[in-house]
Amino acid sequence: MIEVQNIYKTFLVPHRVQALVNVSCKIEAGEVVVVIGPSGSGKSTLLRCLNHLEAADSGKIFIEGIDILDPKTNINKLRAEVGMVFQSFNLFPHKSVLENITLAQKVVRKRTKDEYLDKAFYLLNKVGIKDKANVFPDQLSGGQQQRVAIARALAMDPKVMLFDEPTSALDPEMIGEVLDVMKNLAMEGMTMVVVTHEMGFAKEVADRVIFMDMGAIVEEGTPEHFFTNPENERTKLFLSQIL
Amino acid sequence: MNQPATIKKNKPASYYAWVGIFFLCLAGLIGALYYATIKIDYIWRWYRIPQYFIFKEKVDIRSQVDGKITEISYENGKAIIIVKTIGENKTYTVPQGDLKVSKGEYVNPGYVLAFYEKWKPGILLQGLWLTIEVSAIATLFGILIGLIGGIARLSSNPAFKWASITYIEIIRGSPLLVQIFIWYFVLGTLINTILGKYGINPIPSLWYGVAALACFTGAYVAEIVRAGIQSIHRGQVEASRSLGMTYAQSMRYVVLPQALRRILPPLAGQFISLIKDSSLLGIIAIRELAKATREVATTSLQTFELWFVCALLYLALTFTLSMFVQYLERRTAV
Ligand SMILES: Nc1ncnc2c1ncn2[C@@H]1O[C@H](COP(=O)(O)OP(=O)(O)O)[C@@H](O)[C@H]1O
Ligand SMILES: [Mg+2]
Repeated sequence: MIEVQNIYKTFLVPHRVQALVNVSCKIEAGEVVVVIGPSGSGKSTLLRCLNHLEAADSGKIFIEGIDILDPKTNINKLRAEVGMVFQSFNLFPHKSVLENITLAQKVVRKRTKDEYLDKAFYLLNKVGIKDKANVFPDQLSGGQQQRVAIARALAMDPKVMLFDEPTSALDPEMIGEVLDVMKNLAMEGMTMVVVTHEMGFAKEVADRVIFMDMGAIVEEGTPEHFFTNPENERTKLFLSQIL
Repeated sequence: MNQPATIKKNKPASYYAWVGIFFLCLAGLIGALYYATIKIDYIWRWYRIPQYFIFKEKVDIRSQVDGKITEISYENGKAIIIVKTIGENKTYTVPQGDLKVSKGEYVNPGYVLAFYEKWKPGILLQGLWLTIEVSAIATLFGILIGLIGGIARLSSNPAFKWASITYIEIIRGSPLLVQIFIWYFVLGTLINTILGKYGINPIPSLWYGVAALACFTGAYVAEIVRAGIQSIHRGQVEASRSLGMTYAQSMRYVVLPQALRRILPPLAGQFISLIKDSSLLGIIAIRELAKATREVATTSLQTFELWFVCALLYLALTFTLSMFVQYLERRTAV
Protein backbone atom coordinates (compact mmCIF):
# COMPACT_ATOMS: atom_id res chain seq x y z
CA MET A 1 0.00 0.00 0.00
CA ILE A 2 2.74 2.45 0.98
CA GLU A 3 6.31 1.90 -0.04
CA VAL A 4 9.08 4.27 0.99
CA GLN A 5 12.46 3.74 -0.66
CA ASN A 6 15.61 5.45 0.57
CA ILE A 7 14.23 8.92 1.14
CA TYR A 8 16.30 11.81 2.36
CA LYS A 9 15.08 15.17 3.59
CA THR A 10 17.30 18.04 4.63
CA PHE A 11 16.04 21.38 5.88
CA LEU A 12 18.31 24.32 5.16
CA VAL A 13 16.34 27.03 6.94
CA PRO A 14 16.79 28.20 9.68
CA HIS A 15 19.83 25.93 9.77
CA ARG A 16 20.89 22.73 8.10
CA VAL A 17 19.09 19.73 9.61
CA GLN A 18 19.07 16.24 8.17
CA ALA A 19 15.53 15.32 9.15
CA LEU A 20 15.39 12.04 7.21
CA VAL A 21 18.41 9.93 6.29
CA ASN A 22 17.91 7.01 3.96
CA VAL A 23 14.52 5.95 5.28
CA SER A 24 12.81 2.92 3.78
CA CYS A 25 9.70 1.14 4.96
CA LYS A 26 6.63 -0.66 3.73
CA ILE A 27 3.11 -0.49 5.04
CA GLU A 28 0.57 -3.07 3.96
CA ALA A 29 -3.14 -2.43 3.52
CA GLY A 30 -4.99 -2.85 6.81
CA GLU A 31 -1.84 -2.55 8.84
CA VAL A 32 -1.53 -0.28 11.87
CA VAL A 33 2.02 1.00 12.20
CA VAL A 34 3.07 3.03 15.22
CA VAL A 35 6.10 5.27 14.86
CA ILE A 36 7.95 6.15 18.04
CA GLY A 37 11.14 8.01 18.75
CA PRO A 38 12.54 11.01 20.58
CA SER A 39 11.53 14.53 19.69
CA GLY A 40 13.28 15.81 16.58
CA SER A 41 13.95 12.32 15.25
CA GLY A 42 12.05 12.96 12.02
CA LYS A 43 8.73 11.21 12.75
CA SER A 44 6.58 14.16 11.65
CA THR A 45 8.74 14.78 8.64
CA LEU A 46 8.33 11.16 7.53
CA LEU A 47 4.56 11.40 7.92
CA ARG A 48 4.43 14.72 6.08
CA CYS A 49 6.46 13.26 3.24
CA LEU A 50 3.85 10.55 2.83
CA ASN A 51 1.16 13.04 1.79
CA HIS A 52 3.63 15.42 0.18
CA LEU A 53 3.15 18.27 2.66
CA GLU A 54 6.93 17.99 2.62
CA ALA A 55 8.72 16.90 -0.56
CA ALA A 56 11.48 14.35 0.01
CA ASP A 57 14.80 15.41 -1.55
CA SER A 58 15.57 12.02 -3.02
CA GLY A 59 14.33 8.47 -2.95
CA LYS A 60 10.90 7.20 -3.92
CA ILE A 61 7.50 7.00 -2.28
CA PHE A 62 4.72 4.90 -3.77
CA ILE A 63 1.16 4.98 -2.52
CA GLU A 64 -0.91 2.24 -4.11
CA GLY A 65 1.67 2.08 -6.82
CA ILE A 66 1.55 5.81 -7.56
CA ASP A 67 4.90 7.55 -7.47
CA ILE A 68 4.08 10.66 -5.43
CA LEU A 69 7.42 12.36 -6.09
CA ASP A 70 6.83 12.23 -9.82
CA PRO A 71 6.04 15.83 -10.86
CA LYS A 72 3.31 14.53 -13.15
CA THR A 73 1.35 13.00 -10.27
CA ASN A 74 -1.76 14.91 -9.27
CA ILE A 75 -0.91 15.61 -5.65
CA ASN A 76 -4.33 16.99 -4.74
CA LYS A 77 -5.98 13.81 -5.90
CA LEU A 78 -3.51 11.77 -3.93
CA ARG A 79 -3.99 13.80 -0.75
CA ALA A 80 -7.73 13.22 -0.86
CA GLU A 81 -6.96 9.52 -0.44
CA VAL A 82 -4.60 10.08 2.48
CA GLY A 83 -6.20 11.44 5.64
CA MET A 84 -4.11 13.34 8.14
CA VAL A 85 -4.73 14.23 11.76
CA PHE A 86 -2.52 16.85 13.38
CA GLN A 87 -1.28 17.34 16.90
CA SER A 88 -2.89 20.79 17.02
CA PHE A 89 -6.19 19.69 15.38
CA ASN A 90 -6.11 22.53 12.82
CA LEU A 91 -9.88 22.74 12.58
CA PHE A 92 -11.22 25.65 10.56
CA PRO A 93 -12.20 28.14 13.28
CA HIS A 94 -14.53 30.15 11.06
CA LYS A 95 -16.65 27.14 10.19
CA SER A 96 -19.03 25.11 12.30
CA VAL A 97 -18.26 21.50 13.13
CA LEU A 98 -20.59 20.37 10.38
CA GLU A 99 -19.02 22.72 7.83
CA ASN A 100 -15.56 21.52 8.84
CA ILE A 101 -16.62 18.04 7.85
CA THR A 102 -18.53 18.95 4.71
CA LEU A 103 -16.24 21.57 3.12
CA ALA A 104 -13.78 19.23 1.44
CA GLN A 105 -16.55 16.79 0.55
CA LYS A 106 -18.18 19.62 -1.37
CA VAL A 107 -15.21 21.23 -3.06
CA VAL A 108 -12.90 18.25 -3.50
CA ARG A 109 -15.19 15.23 -3.80
CA LYS A 110 -18.02 17.29 -5.36
CA ARG A 111 -20.65 15.36 -3.45
CA THR A 112 -24.32 16.35 -3.45
CA LYS A 113 -25.89 17.87 -0.37
CA ASP A 114 -27.61 14.62 0.59
CA GLU A 115 -24.39 12.68 0.23
CA TYR A 116 -22.19 15.00 2.23
CA LEU A 117 -24.72 15.56 5.00
CA ASP A 118 -25.35 11.84 5.37
CA LYS A 119 -21.63 11.23 5.54
CA ALA A 120 -21.07 14.04 8.04
CA PHE A 121 -23.76 12.90 10.45
CA TYR A 122 -22.71 9.28 10.15
CA LEU A 123 -19.15 10.27 11.12
CA LEU A 124 -20.19 12.67 13.88
CA ASN A 125 -22.16 9.81 15.34
CA LYS A 126 -19.22 7.49 14.96
CA VAL A 127 -16.83 9.80 16.82
CA GLY A 128 -19.50 10.46 19.43
CA ILE A 129 -20.35 14.15 19.01
CA LYS A 130 -23.46 14.23 16.88
CA ASP A 131 -25.09 16.86 19.11
CA LYS A 132 -22.30 19.36 18.36
CA ALA A 133 -22.86 19.68 14.62
CA ASN A 134 -23.67 23.38 14.68
CA VAL A 135 -21.23 24.69 17.25
CA PHE A 136 -17.91 26.26 16.39
CA PRO A 137 -14.60 24.53 17.17
CA ASP A 138 -13.60 26.96 19.92
CA GLN A 139 -16.63 25.86 21.94
CA LEU A 140 -15.39 22.26 22.05
CA SER A 141 -12.94 20.59 24.39
CA GLY A 142 -9.60 19.46 22.97
CA GLY A 143 -10.72 15.86 22.83
CA GLN A 144 -13.88 16.80 20.99
CA GLN A 145 -11.92 18.96 18.55
CA GLN A 146 -9.56 16.13 17.76
CA ARG A 147 -12.49 13.79 17.17
CA VAL A 148 -13.98 16.33 14.76
CA ALA A 149 -10.62 16.49 13.01
CA ILE A 150 -10.64 12.71 12.66
CA ALA A 151 -14.18 12.82 11.27
CA ARG A 152 -13.12 15.57 8.86
CA ALA A 153 -10.32 13.39 7.51
CA LEU A 154 -12.51 10.28 7.35
CA ALA A 155 -15.16 12.16 5.38
CA MET A 156 -12.93 11.92 2.33
CA ASP A 157 -13.02 8.09 2.54
CA PRO A 158 -9.25 7.90 2.68
CA LYS A 159 -7.39 4.68 2.00
CA VAL A 160 -4.87 5.43 4.71
CA MET A 161 -4.88 7.65 7.79
CA LEU A 162 -1.81 9.43 9.15
CA PHE A 163 -1.86 10.54 12.79
CA ASP A 164 0.86 12.90 14.02
CA GLU A 165 0.83 12.79 17.81
CA PRO A 166 -2.96 13.13 17.93
CA THR A 167 -3.15 13.11 21.73
CA SER A 168 -0.05 15.12 22.64
CA ALA A 169 -1.91 18.41 22.92
CA LEU A 170 -4.72 16.97 25.04
CA ASP A 171 -5.39 17.06 28.75
CA PRO A 172 -4.85 13.54 30.17
CA GLU A 173 -8.54 12.93 30.80
CA MET A 174 -9.34 13.43 27.12
CA ILE A 175 -6.70 11.17 25.65
CA GLY A 176 -8.81 8.06 26.14
CA GLU A 177 -11.77 9.25 24.07
CA VAL A 178 -9.54 10.00 21.08
CA LEU A 179 -7.62 6.73 21.38
CA ASP A 180 -10.93 4.85 21.52
CA VAL A 181 -11.98 6.36 18.21
CA MET A 182 -8.64 5.35 16.72
CA LYS A 183 -8.88 1.83 18.11
CA ASN A 184 -12.30 1.37 16.52
CA LEU A 185 -10.92 2.61 13.27
CA ALA A 186 -8.07 0.12 13.46
CA MET A 187 -10.51 -2.70 14.18
CA GLU A 188 -12.52 -1.78 11.10
CA GLY A 189 -9.42 -2.45 9.07
CA MET A 190 -8.22 1.08 8.30
CA THR A 191 -4.60 1.36 7.26
CA MET A 192 -3.00 3.66 9.81
CA VAL A 193 0.37 5.23 10.47
CA VAL A 194 0.40 6.68 13.96
CA VAL A 195 3.12 8.78 15.54
CA THR A 196 2.48 8.64 19.28
CA HIS A 197 3.98 8.38 22.72
CA GLU A 198 1.03 6.33 23.95
CA MET A 199 2.73 3.02 24.48
CA GLY A 200 -0.49 1.43 25.68
CA PHE A 201 -2.03 2.15 22.30
CA ALA A 202 1.04 0.72 20.55
CA LYS A 203 0.90 -2.49 22.59
CA GLU A 204 -2.79 -2.97 22.10
CA VAL A 205 -3.41 -1.90 18.53
CA ALA A 206 -0.19 -1.81 16.53
CA ASP A 207 0.71 -4.55 14.11
CA ARG A 208 4.19 -3.15 13.88
CA VAL A 209 6.26 -0.52 15.65
CA ILE A 210 8.97 1.60 14.04
CA PHE A 211 11.55 3.32 16.19
CA MET A 212 13.24 6.37 14.68
CA ASP A 213 16.21 8.31 15.89
CA MET A 214 18.23 11.09 14.23
CA GLY A 215 16.27 10.85 11.01
CA ALA A 216 16.67 7.13 10.52
CA ILE A 217 14.69 3.99 11.27
CA VAL A 218 16.69 2.27 13.96
CA GLU A 219 14.53 -0.71 14.79
CA GLU A 220 11.33 -2.21 13.51
CA GLY A 221 9.22 -5.06 14.81
CA THR A 222 6.06 -6.29 16.54
CA PRO A 223 4.96 -4.57 19.74
CA GLU A 224 5.83 -7.76 21.58
CA HIS A 225 9.37 -7.64 20.32
CA PHE A 226 9.70 -4.00 21.30
CA PHE A 227 8.33 -4.19 24.77
CA THR A 228 9.94 -7.45 25.79
CA ASN A 229 13.36 -7.63 24.15
CA PRO A 230 14.40 -4.61 22.10
CA GLU A 231 17.78 -5.11 20.47
CA ASN A 232 19.22 -1.70 19.74
CA GLU A 233 20.82 0.27 22.56
CA ARG A 234 19.13 3.48 21.55
CA THR A 235 15.75 1.78 21.50
CA LYS A 236 16.35 0.43 24.96
CA LEU A 237 17.36 3.83 26.23
CA PHE A 238 14.32 5.50 24.71
CA LEU A 239 11.89 2.91 26.00
CA SER A 240 13.39 3.00 29.46
CA GLN A 241 12.81 6.73 29.55
CA ILE A 242 9.27 6.64 28.27
CA LEU A 243 7.80 3.58 29.99
CA MET B 1 -18.50 35.47 31.77
CA ASN B 2 -20.31 38.44 30.33
CA GLN B 3 -18.61 41.13 32.31
CA PRO B 4 -18.46 44.52 30.67
CA ALA B 5 -14.96 45.47 29.63
CA THR B 6 -14.93 48.54 31.83
CA ILE B 7 -16.34 48.31 35.28
CA LYS B 8 -18.59 51.20 36.23
CA LYS B 9 -17.67 52.94 39.38
CA ASN B 10 -18.30 56.32 40.88
CA LYS B 11 -15.94 58.82 39.41
CA PRO B 12 -14.12 61.29 41.65
CA ALA B 13 -14.99 64.95 41.49
CA SER B 14 -11.68 65.75 39.81
CA TYR B 15 -12.84 63.68 36.83
CA TYR B 16 -15.77 66.03 36.24
CA ALA B 17 -13.51 69.02 36.78
CA TRP B 18 -11.29 67.83 33.94
CA VAL B 19 -14.31 67.21 31.73
CA GLY B 20 -15.29 70.79 32.42
CA ILE B 21 -11.80 72.00 31.59
CA PHE B 22 -11.94 70.15 28.28
CA PHE B 23 -15.18 71.80 27.21
CA LEU B 24 -13.96 75.17 28.47
CA CYS B 25 -10.83 74.90 26.34
CA LEU B 26 -12.89 73.86 23.33
CA ALA B 27 -15.24 76.79 23.76
CA GLY B 28 -12.27 79.10 24.33
CA LEU B 29 -10.66 77.99 21.10
CA ILE B 30 -13.82 78.53 19.10
CA GLY B 31 -14.39 81.86 20.82
CA ALA B 32 -10.85 83.00 20.04
CA LEU B 33 -11.28 82.06 16.40
CA TYR B 34 -14.55 83.93 16.22
CA TYR B 35 -13.05 86.96 17.93
CA ALA B 36 -10.16 86.98 15.48
CA THR B 37 -12.51 86.92 12.50
CA ILE B 38 -14.48 89.82 13.95
CA LYS B 39 -11.23 91.71 14.34
CA ILE B 40 -10.61 91.51 10.59
CA ASP B 41 -14.22 92.45 9.88
CA TYR B 42 -15.16 89.07 8.48
CA ILE B 43 -18.92 88.73 8.23
CA TRP B 44 -20.24 85.25 8.80
CA ARG B 45 -23.10 84.43 6.45
CA TRP B 46 -24.01 80.82 7.09
CA TYR B 47 -27.38 81.32 5.39
CA ARG B 48 -25.59 81.61 2.07
CA ILE B 49 -24.18 78.11 2.30
CA PRO B 50 -27.25 75.92 1.66
CA GLN B 51 -27.63 77.29 -1.88
CA TYR B 52 -24.38 75.59 -2.84
CA PHE B 53 -25.90 72.26 -1.92
CA ILE B 54 -29.27 72.64 -3.49
CA PHE B 55 -31.02 75.53 -5.17
CA LYS B 56 -34.16 76.35 -7.08
CA GLU B 57 -33.69 76.98 -10.73
CA LYS B 58 -36.16 78.92 -12.86
CA VAL B 59 -37.04 77.08 -16.03
CA ASP B 60 -38.88 79.10 -18.71
CA ILE B 61 -41.65 77.63 -20.81
CA ARG B 62 -41.44 79.22 -24.20
CA SER B 63 -43.78 79.29 -27.13
CA GLN B 64 -42.66 77.36 -30.17
CA VAL B 65 -45.03 79.04 -32.60
CA ASP B 66 -46.28 82.39 -33.92
CA GLY B 67 -49.83 83.21 -32.96
CA LYS B 68 -52.34 84.78 -30.64
CA ILE B 69 -53.45 83.52 -27.28
CA THR B 70 -57.16 82.92 -27.70
CA GLU B 71 -57.94 81.22 -24.47
CA ILE B 72 -56.56 80.62 -21.00
CA SER B 73 -58.46 78.19 -18.81
CA TYR B 74 -57.63 76.87 -15.38
CA GLU B 75 -57.87 73.32 -14.21
CA ASN B 76 -56.69 71.96 -10.82
CA GLY B 77 -53.83 74.39 -10.42
CA LYS B 78 -52.71 74.34 -14.04
CA ALA B 79 -53.29 76.92 -16.71
CA ILE B 80 -54.07 75.72 -20.20
CA ILE B 81 -53.03 78.21 -22.87
CA ILE B 82 -54.35 77.85 -26.38
CA VAL B 83 -52.37 79.66 -29.07
CA LYS B 84 -54.14 80.20 -32.37
CA THR B 85 -51.80 79.94 -35.30
CA ILE B 86 -52.16 79.86 -39.06
CA GLY B 87 -52.18 76.13 -38.98
CA GLU B 88 -53.34 74.03 -36.07
CA ASN B 89 -53.92 75.48 -32.61
CA LYS B 90 -51.20 74.79 -30.07
CA THR B 91 -51.99 73.97 -26.41
CA TYR B 92 -49.61 74.54 -23.50
CA THR B 93 -50.25 73.31 -19.98
CA VAL B 94 -48.26 75.37 -17.45
CA PRO B 95 -48.24 75.97 -13.67
CA GLN B 96 -50.96 78.51 -12.99
CA GLY B 97 -49.17 80.78 -10.53
CA ASP B 98 -46.23 81.53 -12.75
CA LEU B 99 -48.09 82.73 -15.83
CA LYS B 100 -46.32 85.47 -17.79
CA VAL B 101 -48.93 86.15 -20.49
CA SER B 102 -52.58 87.07 -20.73
CA LYS B 103 -55.40 86.45 -23.14
CA GLY B 104 -55.14 88.25 -26.44
CA GLU B 105 -51.38 88.60 -26.43
CA TYR B 106 -49.40 87.83 -29.55
CA VAL B 107 -46.53 85.41 -29.15
CA ASN B 108 -43.72 84.23 -31.31
CA PRO B 109 -41.21 81.35 -30.99
CA GLY B 110 -39.08 81.84 -27.87
CA TYR B 111 -41.63 84.10 -26.16
CA VAL B 112 -41.84 83.19 -22.46
CA LEU B 113 -45.31 81.94 -21.57
CA ALA B 114 -44.62 80.87 -18.02
CA PHE B 115 -41.92 79.41 -15.85
CA TYR B 116 -41.58 76.82 -13.17
CA GLU B 117 -39.01 76.17 -10.50
CA LYS B 118 -36.89 73.06 -10.19
CA TRP B 119 -34.58 71.88 -7.40
CA LYS B 120 -31.05 71.38 -8.63
CA PRO B 121 -27.98 70.04 -6.81
CA GLY B 122 -25.46 72.77 -6.09
CA ILE B 123 -21.77 72.60 -6.83
CA LEU B 124 -20.85 71.36 -3.36
CA LEU B 125 -23.31 68.50 -3.53
CA GLN B 126 -22.00 67.60 -6.98
CA GLY B 127 -18.46 67.69 -5.62
CA LEU B 128 -19.43 65.54 -2.66
CA TRP B 129 -21.05 63.05 -4.98
CA LEU B 130 -18.00 62.95 -7.22
CA THR B 131 -15.77 62.35 -4.20
CA ILE B 132 -17.97 59.43 -3.15
CA GLU B 133 -18.00 58.06 -6.67
CA VAL B 134 -14.26 58.34 -7.19
CA SER B 135 -13.52 56.85 -3.78
CA ALA B 136 -15.92 53.96 -4.27
CA ILE B 137 -14.52 52.99 -7.66
CA ALA B 138 -10.93 53.37 -6.47
CA THR B 139 -11.74 51.30 -3.38
CA LEU B 140 -13.20 48.54 -5.50
CA PHE B 141 -10.19 48.36 -7.79
CA GLY B 142 -7.87 48.90 -4.85
CA ILE B 143 -9.26 45.77 -3.19
CA LEU B 144 -8.89 43.82 -6.40
CA ILE B 145 -5.31 44.98 -7.01
CA GLY B 146 -4.44 44.52 -3.35
CA LEU B 147 -5.80 40.99 -3.23
CA ILE B 148 -3.87 39.95 -6.30
CA GLY B 149 -0.78 41.87 -5.18
CA GLY B 150 -0.87 40.40 -1.67
CA ILE B 151 -1.23 36.83 -2.90
CA ALA B 152 1.45 37.35 -5.57
CA ARG B 153 3.73 38.79 -2.89
CA LEU B 154 3.60 35.44 -1.08
CA SER B 155 3.93 33.35 -4.22
CA SER B 156 6.99 31.15 -4.63
CA ASN B 157 7.03 32.05 -8.33
CA PRO B 158 9.72 34.76 -8.65
CA ALA B 159 7.96 36.53 -11.51
CA PHE B 160 4.82 37.11 -9.45
CA LYS B 161 6.68 37.76 -6.25
CA TRP B 162 9.14 40.28 -7.67
CA ALA B 163 6.47 42.00 -9.74
CA SER B 164 4.46 42.48 -6.57
CA ILE B 165 7.44 43.69 -4.52
CA THR B 166 8.47 46.15 -7.24
CA TYR B 167 4.95 47.51 -7.52
CA ILE B 168 4.48 47.86 -3.77
CA GLU B 169 7.84 49.52 -3.19
CA ILE B 170 7.54 52.00 -6.05
CA ILE B 171 4.04 53.05 -5.04
CA ARG B 172 4.77 53.30 -1.35
CA GLY B 173 8.03 55.08 -1.94
CA SER B 174 6.73 58.06 -3.89
CA PRO B 175 4.21 60.79 -3.05
CA LEU B 176 0.65 60.35 -4.25
CA LEU B 177 0.74 63.85 -5.73
CA VAL B 178 3.62 62.84 -8.02
CA GLN B 179 1.83 59.64 -8.95
CA ILE B 180 -1.27 61.59 -9.93
CA PHE B 181 0.88 63.82 -12.14
CA ILE B 182 2.50 60.79 -13.74
CA TRP B 183 -0.87 59.21 -14.42
CA TYR B 184 -2.26 62.41 -15.86
CA PHE B 185 0.64 64.11 -17.62
CA VAL B 186 2.69 61.07 -18.65
CA LEU B 187 0.45 58.05 -19.02
CA GLY B 188 -2.60 60.17 -19.83
CA THR B 189 -0.80 62.07 -22.56
CA LEU B 190 0.65 58.87 -24.01
CA ILE B 191 -2.60 56.95 -23.98
CA ASN B 192 -4.79 59.78 -25.22
CA THR B 193 -2.36 60.69 -28.00
CA ILE B 194 -2.18 57.12 -29.18
CA LEU B 195 -5.96 56.78 -28.97
CA GLY B 196 -6.25 59.99 -30.97
CA LYS B 197 -4.12 58.54 -33.74
CA TYR B 198 -6.67 55.79 -34.13
CA GLY B 199 -9.54 58.25 -34.03
CA ILE B 200 -10.76 57.15 -30.59
CA ASN B 201 -12.02 59.74 -28.11
CA PRO B 202 -9.59 60.57 -25.31
CA ILE B 203 -10.20 59.12 -21.86
CA PRO B 204 -11.35 61.88 -19.48
CA SER B 205 -8.94 62.96 -16.76
CA LEU B 206 -11.32 61.56 -14.15
CA TRP B 207 -10.28 58.02 -15.04
CA TYR B 208 -6.58 58.79 -14.74
CA GLY B 209 -7.30 60.18 -11.29
CA VAL B 210 -9.25 57.08 -10.31
CA ALA B 211 -6.45 54.89 -11.65
CA ALA B 212 -3.86 56.77 -9.63
CA LEU B 213 -5.89 56.41 -6.45
CA ALA B 214 -6.68 52.73 -7.08
CA CYS B 215 -3.05 51.83 -7.76
CA PHE B 216 -1.90 53.82 -4.75
CA THR B 217 -4.39 52.16 -2.43
CA GLY B 218 -3.79 48.76 -4.03
CA ALA B 219 -0.17 48.74 -2.91
CA TYR B 220 -1.10 49.39 0.70
CA VAL B 221 -3.94 46.89 0.57
CA ALA B 222 -1.51 44.32 -0.85
CA GLU B 223 0.71 44.73 2.20
CA ILE B 224 -2.30 44.47 4.50
CA VAL B 225 -3.51 41.35 2.69
CA ARG B 226 -0.03 39.83 2.84
CA ALA B 227 0.20 40.42 6.57
CA GLY B 228 -3.33 39.04 7.00
CA ILE B 229 -2.59 35.85 5.12
CA GLN B 230 0.68 35.39 6.98
CA SER B 231 -1.10 35.81 10.28
CA ILE B 232 -3.17 32.70 9.61
CA HIS B 233 -1.48 29.70 11.16
CA ARG B 234 0.11 27.50 8.53
CA GLY B 235 -1.69 24.52 10.06
CA GLN B 236 -4.81 25.88 8.37
CA VAL B 237 -3.24 25.58 4.94
CA GLU B 238 -1.79 22.18 5.78
CA ALA B 239 -5.12 20.87 7.02
CA SER B 240 -6.97 22.05 3.94
CA ARG B 241 -4.29 20.86 1.52
CA SER B 242 -4.13 17.47 3.26
CA LEU B 243 -7.84 17.10 2.49
CA GLY B 244 -7.04 17.43 -1.19
CA MET B 245 -7.94 21.08 -1.70
CA THR B 246 -5.97 22.97 -4.30
CA TYR B 247 -3.98 26.06 -3.36
CA ALA B 248 -6.78 28.24 -4.73
CA GLN B 249 -9.50 26.37 -2.83
CA SER B 250 -7.54 26.52 0.38
CA MET B 251 -7.11 30.29 -0.10
CA ARG B 252 -10.72 30.86 -0.97
CA TYR B 253 -12.46 28.73 1.63
CA VAL B 254 -10.01 28.63 4.51
CA VAL B 255 -7.32 31.31 4.53
CA LEU B 256 -8.92 34.41 3.02
CA PRO B 257 -12.17 34.30 5.03
CA GLN B 258 -10.13 34.21 8.23
CA ALA B 259 -7.58 36.75 7.00
CA LEU B 260 -10.29 39.14 5.81
CA ARG B 261 -11.80 39.27 9.25
CA ARG B 262 -8.46 40.19 10.71
CA ILE B 263 -7.57 42.82 8.13
CA LEU B 264 -10.90 44.62 8.21
CA PRO B 265 -9.73 47.34 10.67
CA PRO B 266 -6.47 48.24 8.84
CA LEU B 267 -8.34 48.00 5.54
CA ALA B 268 -10.92 50.49 6.81
CA GLY B 269 -8.12 52.86 7.80
CA GLN B 270 -6.74 52.60 4.29
CA PHE B 271 -10.06 53.44 2.68
CA ILE B 272 -10.57 56.37 5.02
CA SER B 273 -7.20 57.64 3.83
CA LEU B 274 -8.35 57.09 0.27
CA ILE B 275 -11.39 59.33 0.75
CA LYS B 276 -9.19 62.07 2.14
CA ASP B 277 -6.50 61.60 -0.52
CA SER B 278 -9.09 61.96 -3.27
CA SER B 279 -9.00 65.68 -2.44
CA LEU B 280 -5.71 65.82 -4.36
CA LEU B 281 -7.49 65.06 -7.61
CA GLY B 282 -8.52 68.71 -7.84
CA ILE B 283 -5.09 69.48 -9.27
CA ILE B 284 -5.90 67.59 -12.45
CA ALA B 285 -9.16 69.44 -12.88
CA ILE B 286 -11.44 66.86 -11.31
CA ARG B 287 -14.09 68.81 -9.48
CA GLU B 288 -14.38 66.70 -6.34
CA LEU B 289 -15.41 68.14 -3.01
CA ALA B 290 -12.24 70.11 -2.19
CA LYS B 291 -11.94 71.56 -5.69
CA ALA B 292 -15.64 72.41 -5.71
CA THR B 293 -15.22 74.17 -2.40
CA ARG B 294 -12.30 76.17 -3.72
CA GLU B 295 -14.33 77.27 -6.73
CA VAL B 296 -17.27 78.35 -4.62
CA ALA B 297 -15.00 80.04 -2.10
CA THR B 298 -13.43 82.25 -4.73
CA THR B 299 -16.76 83.40 -6.13
CA SER B 300 -18.85 83.63 -2.97
CA LEU B 301 -16.26 85.14 -0.65
CA GLN B 302 -17.69 83.07 2.22
CA THR B 303 -14.32 81.35 2.47
CA PHE B 304 -14.37 80.55 6.16
CA GLU B 305 -17.78 78.93 6.25
CA LEU B 306 -17.08 76.93 3.10
CA TRP B 307 -13.83 75.37 4.24
CA PHE B 308 -15.34 74.38 7.56
CA VAL B 309 -18.28 72.85 5.73
CA CYS B 310 -15.89 71.04 3.43
CA ALA B 311 -13.96 69.56 6.35
CA LEU B 312 -17.20 68.52 8.03
CA LEU B 313 -18.37 66.78 4.87
CA TYR B 314 -15.17 64.74 4.68
CA LEU B 315 -15.60 63.95 8.35
CA ALA B 316 -19.14 62.77 7.69
CA LEU B 317 -17.93 60.47 4.91
CA THR B 318 -15.08 58.95 6.87
CA PHE B 319 -17.22 58.61 9.98
CA THR B 320 -19.94 56.80 8.06
CA LEU B 321 -17.37 54.44 6.60
CA SER B 322 -15.85 53.61 9.96
CA MET B 323 -19.31 53.03 11.44
CA PHE B 324 -20.08 50.69 8.56
CA VAL B 325 -16.86 48.76 9.11
CA GLN B 326 -17.55 48.47 12.82
CA TYR B 327 -20.91 47.01 11.95
CA LEU B 328 -19.25 44.54 9.59
CA GLU B 329 -16.74 43.58 12.25
CA ARG B 330 -19.50 42.86 14.72
CA ARG B 331 -21.38 40.83 12.16
CA THR B 332 -18.41 38.69 11.14
CA ALA B 333 -17.05 38.15 14.63
CA VAL B 334 -17.02 34.46 15.47
N1 LIG C 1 9.70 22.97 8.26
C1 LIG C 1 10.89 22.78 8.85
N2 LIG C 1 11.89 23.66 8.65
C2 LIG C 1 13.10 23.46 9.24
N3 LIG C 1 13.40 22.44 10.01
C3 LIG C 1 12.45 21.52 10.26
C4 LIG C 1 11.14 21.65 9.70
N4 LIG C 1 10.39 20.61 10.10
C5 LIG C 1 11.21 19.86 10.90
N5 LIG C 1 12.44 20.39 10.99
C6 LIG C 1 13.58 19.83 11.73
O1 LIG C 1 13.72 18.50 11.32
C7 LIG C 1 14.00 17.66 12.43
C8 LIG C 1 12.95 16.58 12.53
O2 LIG C 1 11.74 17.19 12.90
P1 LIG C 1 10.36 16.39 13.09
O3 LIG C 1 10.16 15.54 11.91
O4 LIG C 1 9.33 17.39 13.38
O5 LIG C 1 10.68 15.52 14.37
P2 LIG C 1 9.67 14.77 15.32
O6 LIG C 1 8.30 14.85 14.74
O7 LIG C 1 10.20 13.40 15.39
O8 LIG C 1 9.76 15.45 16.63
C9 LIG C 1 14.05 18.57 13.65
O9 LIG C 1 15.40 18.88 13.92
C10 LIG C 1 13.32 19.79 13.21
O10 LIG C 1 13.85 20.95 13.84
MG1 LIG D 1 6.58 15.76 15.48
